[in-house]
Amino acid sequence: MRVNPNPMPDLLAALSRARQTTEDALRELSSGRRVNQPSDDPAAAAILVQNHDQTIFTARYLQTLTSIQGQFQTADSALSSVIVSLNRALTLGVQGANGTASDTDRAAIATELQGIQDQLISLANTSFQGGPLFAGTLTSSPPFVKDNTLPSGVRYDGNDAVNQVQIGDGYRIVANKPGSQLFTAAGHDVFQALAGLIQAMATNTGFDVAITALRDSFDFISSQRVFYGNAMNQGLAQSTSLGTTKVQLAEQENTLVASDIEAAASRLVSSQAATNATLAAIGRISQLNLFAS
Amino acid sequence: MSGLLGSLSTALSALIANQQAFETASNNVANANTPGFSRQRPVFTPGDPVVLGRLSFGTGVVLKKLESLRDPILELRLNQESQTQGQLDSALSALQQIQVTFSGTDSGIAHAISKFFDSLQQLSTDPASLSLRQGVLTAAANLATSFNTASHNLQTQHSNLDLNVVQAVGEINTLTPQIAALNQQITNLENVHEDASAFIDQRGALIRQLSSLVDVSVIQTEHGITLTTSNGTPLVAQERSFQLTTQIAAGGVHKIFAGTVDVTGLLPAGKLGGLLEVRDNRIPALQANLDQLAAGLATALNAAHRGGFDLNGAVGTDLFIPPAAGGVGAAAALSVAITDPAFIAASSDGTPGSNGNLAVISAVHDQAVATGQKPLDFYSRLVFQVGSDTANTAADLSASQLILRQLENQRASISGVSLDEEAANIVRYQTAYQAAARVITTVTTLLDAAVNLGKN
Repeated sequence: MRVNPNPMPDLLAALSRARQTTEDALRELSSGRRVNQPSDDPAAAAILVQNHDQTIFTARYLQTLTSIQGQFQTADSALSSVIVSLNRALTLGVQGANGTASDTDRAAIATELQGIQDQLISLANTSFQGGPLFAGTLTSSPPFVKDNTLPSGVRYDGNDAVNQVQIGDGYRIVANKPGSQLFTAAGHDVFQALAGLIQAMATNTGFDVAITALRDSFDFISSQRVFYGNAMNQGLAQSTSLGTTKVQLAEQENTLVASDIEAAASRLVSSQAATNATLAAIGRISQLNLFAS
Repeated sequence: MSGLLGSLSTALSALIANQQAFETASNNVANANTPGFSRQRPVFTPGDPVVLGRLSFGTGVVLKKLESLRDPILELRLNQESQTQGQLDSALSALQQIQVTFSGTDSGIAHAISKFFDSLQQLSTDPASLSLRQGVLTAAANLATSFNTASHNLQTQHSNLDLNVVQAVGEINTLTPQIAALNQQITNLENVHEDASAFIDQRGALIRQLSSLVDVSVIQTEHGITLTTSNGTPLVAQERSFQLTTQIAAGGVHKIFAGTVDVTGLLPAGKLGGLLEVRDNRIPALQANLDQLAAGLATALNAAHRGGFDLNGAVGTDLFIPPAAGGVGAAAALSVAITDPAFIAASSDGTPGSNGNLAVISAVHDQAVATGQKPLDFYSRLVFQVGSDTANTAADLSASQLILRQLENQRASISGVSLDEEAANIVRYQTAYQAAARVITTVTTLLDAAVNLGKN
């Protein structure tokens, strides 16, 4: 059979293919990515959309945890101070109830108890990044204000609502405890108990009832404080888990789209060799005919 | 006639025949790189013999004809493959430009969707914060812009393709009259039994060009060639050509007419076929998908947003301007309805610090919003679709290119000019010419001797 007398178009096609391979390999090496557009690997490009979404969310959950942990710590340390103050109030109560205490002593104790009451109001109004921590979901003003018309002398202006924040896919935790569940819970009103004790100091009667009520409030707040401890532990555990997820997502992305450097480099070398060989062949053709001899 | 003068005439025939053969070789060499040229081969036959008594003497050589070497069936296969290649080539180049809109994970619609839901999560940690609320509004605006941009890009592609369609029709309309004119010349020559191969080659090359533009069926009749599209629309009938026309139709696209018949949907192959396929099917389908996603997302987010309360305790309004019924044009028109960050309905109970409704809005991320799919599932399916369409077209194109190369090799092995062959032929014709000239010299000497016979 007669052969094609003009191999030039074939050689040019081969040259174009080799140059395309070189270009692809160079792009892959310079970008470090195997998939630069959906047609490079449609399935990988589609999975990458989800991977990217999950990566953004994982980073967000971690940031949320950082922010919420700060909030939990501030609340916890406020409650810790509350407990110290209440402890002092109990001690003072026992001192005042002692039969050896004089009227002057009790007046001094009542003054100090009043100070503790003020301190408790201030602690219950603790804020984090400008927002009160124990106001439920009300944010405008301090939740606890002095109100002498009430028996406890303190009014709660917050509400009973709680917020939840998401710290994982389908994983939400309660982010706050309203002041009404900590300081003014029915039967455990810490301000009421303290007012009762101050009243007992003034009247020199009813110490037992007042001290019992205060101790009860003390126990109650101590037990409620556990909420923050638990939440911080949950947060820590979730941080660790999210860290692992983050690494897994990065690995998945790497597997999906990262360039196989060795393979790309070897394609680059072989395509360059092919280009050179084709160019040499093209150079030779013109010399290989009877007219040239 | 025999004798010395007979020999002279025989040698002369050889001179003439070899000179003509030499011209043929020279023409072949000259056209070695002419596209569509089929090499010619001289066909020699011996001259009719002269019978003298019991002997018959040859009368030299005649160059009977020049034979053009071509395979009409192969030409047809080449035309068909050119149609396939033309179609895949134009479709691929359009698809490659389209897929840019769907590339990139750090930009585009998917990123904007993720970032919007991310901004809601961020706001949920401090729902009263005006700066975080502004962040949500910005992310919502980016989301709308990403849909607008993608839709706009598709629209631009659509307009460009429409221009290309008009251009391709123009190219077809310049080719068909040329083919008709060549048909006329070929018929004229063939009617007087003259060689029309140069015109046949030219016509073949033009039909190849036409085939890469539109699907062409070649019908050979005794009066010449008729070209139609595969659905029977005539383009060339012997020496007459028929123009295709374009008219702007509803939707701002050009429809293609043959006479008064709309043939837009009837041109599946060639460059025009590829352009029409992307312009009339792929892009509208993608656009409809984007609209569906934009409308579904906006409607779901609006419903969730209306279920909450803003920073002032008022009932939430629409977050996005509600898409038109049916969702047509939703992607292009998507825009944020509120400008004041305080109007974001984060609260579920009217208190400013509540983030309850943000959870409801965030849940849209995992809700079926378009054809029963979650927003990002729907979008990633689109990305896959665009990617695999492009990749498949590219694969088909390289297969078609390979086939076309093989066919062209086959054609060249039959019709292509080999310079080696021609060089060898030239040497042969030259030698034969020189030999015939030598015969004439010898005959002249002999005649001279005969004329001077008896002289000293």
